[in-house]
Amino acid sequence: MTDVQLTLFALLLAFVIFAALAAAFLRDILSAIIAFAGFSFGIALVYVLLRAPDVALTEAAVGAGVTTVLFLLTIVRTVRPGGDRLFERIKWGPAAVATVLVGVLLTTVSSLPRIGDPNSPVATSEVTRYYLENAYPQTDVENVVTAVLAAYRGFDTLGEAAVVLAAGIAVLVVLRKEVYV
Amino acid sequence: MSSLDFSPRAYVESTIIMTTVRVVSPFVFTFGLFVMFHGAESAGGGFQGGAIVASSIIMLAFAFGIEPTREWLDDDFVRVVIGGGASTFALIGLGALAFGGPFLNYSAYGISHGVKYGIELVELGIGAIVAGVIVSLFMNLAAGFSDEETEGDEA
Repeated sequence: MTDVQLTLFALLLAFVIFAALAAAFLRDILSAIIAFAGFSFGIALVYVLLRAPDVALTEAAVGAGVTTVLFLLTIVRTVRPGGDRLFERIKWGPAAVATVLVGVLLTTVSSLPRIGDPNSPVATSEVTRYYLENAYPQTDVENVVTAVLAAYRGFDTLGEAAVVLAAGIAVLVVLRKEVYV
Repeated sequence: MSSLDFSPRAYVESTIIMTTVRVVSPFVFTFGLFVMFHGAESAGGGFQGGAIVASSIIMLAFAFGIEPTREWLDDDFVRVVIGGGASTFALIGLGALAFGGPFLNYSAYGISHGVKYGIELVELGIGAIVAGVIVSLFMNLAAGFSDEETEGDEA
């Protein structure tokens, strides 16, 4: 990454952390949802900078767009809590658990490969080399991610689609019951 | 509910929003289809494209009200889209078996560039599932906002 990109990346990460903390601590649910949408959008931009446009598109469309709308629809049915406090009161037990968890996860960061490291296991793996060399001749598809998802791992993707279908049907059955009783 | 709360009759007709959505939504819908089909050449695919197509419908519901959108886009139609997407994916897989290849092996069809067409169709099927599930989630979550439900709540 160039210096400009690094600066941008640092700013984005700061924004993402700020938005995540805001979503966690803001007392008004509507504000928390908006902060959460901001968090998703920031994370999508982080994915773009990390050269993962497929993941970024999903995060932007589903995380920042659709879930925000579904959250908004849901809180319309709730009542705003009384009082003028801007932030949630911090509950020390859960906060301690969360801090310990973050600490444990941070200890693994040093063993991750650097961004763009040519010697990282993913870049040197035989599997990666095979897909990059054979994906286009075998599938006529230029996006290797799509080739892996829909051709080499098509069965897994069928399973994913079935999960979306089953989850959708289950939720719809429950929701319709509530509406028509 | 206090006066600050969002009323269940949250829909307010706004000329600005309606005009904007009328102009923007066809482009969003087309972009969704583009992302679905073009997933083979660039970033994208069925999941992303389906979510974008669904957001164009949700946009319409925001601008023109949820009930009119539901009348325009029948619940049964959305269900057919979801089922159609899932069966497209499964049938393409099973069709390869019928042609004597392994499950989901698109080259078994023996068409030139068959793998590519298979992938495109599968992406389209995934897009239909995702778009349909999101739209019907939205419609069903919003289903209680009609007037009868409000009166029931107040009683």
